[in-house]
Amino acid sequence: MTAIQNKLHPRQIKPAKMVSTLLRWCLNAFIALLFFIPFYWMFITSVKTLGQTLITPPTFWTWDPQWNNFAVVFQKVDIWGMLGNSLIVTAGTLICQCLTVIPAAYAFARYQFKGAKVLFGITLATMMIPSQLIFLPVYLMFSRWGMINTYWSLILPSASSAFAIFMLRQTFKQVSEELLEAARLDKAGELKIITRIMLPLARPTVVTLAMLTFISIWNDYFWPLVMTTKADVRTLPVGIASLRMTESGVNYQIMMAGNVILVIPVLVVFFFAQKQIIKAFTYTGVK
Amino acid sequence: MDKITLKGITKAYGKNPPVIENLNLDIKDGSFTVLLGPSGCGKSTVLRMIAGLEKTTEGDVLIDGVSVRDVEPGDRNIAMVFQNYALYPTMTVRDNIEFGLKNMKVPKEERKARIAEIAEMVGLTEYLDRKPANLSGGQRQRVALARAIVKKPAVFLMDEPLSNLDAKLRTQIRTDLIELHQKLKTTFVYVTHDQIEAMSMGTDIVLLDHGKIQQHDSPDQLYANPSNVFTARFIGSPPMNILPAEAAAGRLEENIVKIGFRPEKAELIAENGTAGPDKIVIEGEVVAREMLGDQIQYKLRTPYGNISVKDFGDSQFGYGPHKVAVPVRDTACFDAQEKLRGFGLEKE
Repeated sequence: MTAIQNKLHPRQIKPAKMVSTLLRWCLNAFIALLFFIPFYWMFITSVKTLGQTLITPPTFWTWDPQWNNFAVVFQKVDIWGMLGNSLIVTAGTLICQCLTVIPAAYAFARYQFKGAKVLFGITLATMMIPSQLIFLPVYLMFSRWGMINTYWSLILPSASSAFAIFMLRQTFKQVSEELLEAARLDKAGELKIITRIMLPLARPTVVTLAMLTFISIWNDYFWPLVMTTKADVRTLPVGIASLRMTESGVNYQIMMAGNVILVIPVLVVFFFAQKQIIKAFTYTGVK
Repeated sequence: MDKITLKGITKAYGKNPPVIENLNLDIKDGSFTVLLGPSGCGKSTVLRMIAGLEKTTEGDVLIDGVSVRDVEPGDRNIAMVFQNYALYPTMTVRDNIEFGLKNMKVPKEERKARIAEIAEMVGLTEYLDRKPANLSGGQRQRVALARAIVKKPAVFLMDEPLSNLDAKLRTQIRTDLIELHQKLKTTFVYVTHDQIEAMSMGTDIVLLDHGKIQQHDSPDQLYANPSNVFTARFIGSPPMNILPAEAAAGRLEENIVKIGFRPEKAELIAENGTAGPDKIVIEGEVVAREMLGDQIQYKLRTPYGNISVKDFGDSQFGYGPHKVAVPVRDTACFDAQEKLRGFGLEKE
């Protein structure tokens, strides 16, 4: 309808429409700014001198960036070692989640078995238990098994995710039954159906879930702090936080430099996964 | 020899009354058997039970004389074409066709050769690297067919494969399917609610209603000798005219309750015209007239119900009062159970 109207009256844009477009743009810009400012503040602080971080009113620009702050970070904590620990823990968690979430989601979406509803209910209910509530029993359990200060103590608590199971189940449910029947007639086993039919179709959801897990595990401070006491298994967030403890008060510029290092991998991953994530939220039907 | 045998099949969903009850059916080897019936008659369910996608509640399915009760769908040596094609959306046309072969562990060289051959046959060679989303409806249909043919199955199962195509394409693929059947000489089991599809393609038609077989016959027998009123009313376009026996003015046997005649057997005559003594004459009024090129279809309103008449001559009748003359020998006679007793059963 509007396309026809545009053809008939090519240059007439209604003022009301222009105003609404303008408003929308302003709103978008405002929201974008809201998300951008903390990142900018972190980055600009990371290249300031100590004096610049303390003056009021605060400055939003510096002509003399102190790149040396980053070198200080590397001197104070074992960034490479902790980066390695973070990578191991994050990758380990992602692998464990793939192994637990995908089969569970597929079973909940596609099989009718006794107790399926109850089991699914219990799975969802676990989402309501805050981790602060279970960290003590989990800690005691791990300490009895001698798993404190191991990677396992960081990986196992998030080895599965009720949220991911729920999201993936919803996506799997949208796949038409005919497709699975066609695959069964093509002599495909369940594993092949999952890997060749279901997962490729659910790719945007899988990428988004992996992304969310990656961010939460990468940035997690609480579990590593509780479960580890030794530097050789501690992850990056714990290391960066330790930058705060200095004799001469807080060096904000050093801390922020550490945070920039912490955040770069997340930004890189997001940059590559962006397209899939947007797809996951706009995809409503797999046909 | 029978390719597929259904023995006392019953299918019920949950505790509901069964959709299909004690159905027995033999499908001949190499036949093009069409399961025909109105929607909800259980024809798709029968097909899905042959495929193994649906379990039988009771009874047994035999393929080549062997029970397939415990045989997985993928091991039944069958291929199925679905109504919505069910192409794998994330795979290219080539991968779609190849998927089954890979799972059947066909060697790579042979896979390649078979795909090339099949793509040539259905005219998909230049589309092999496209995804299904970038194909037209007709092309997708051909991919679905290719995916089935390439497996060289013993039985082809098709569940209303043409219903998503436009009329022109449907007629074209109909002919293609007949050709394909002639070429492959394998057993086809085809489900449709469209009697024209059934009549034009089938060598055998199984007409179903409410989960029961109404008639299992060749298309010409089904048309010429409908075993009951349901069949008579389902086959033909327009279908057979069914009227109460009173329309024959007491000329037929006592136990005849309904009569029927094909639209092309009837003849339209003028209001004051006369017909021979071997004809039943019914008075009525032309209420619709459709010019179809080689024929004209009239719809008449009579005291006994509506009548369709096909006229192949040049006789030009207008709207208004007319008479319909039907030869007695072409009049189908149905009894109180709506079963066919015979044609032209006149009183002694």
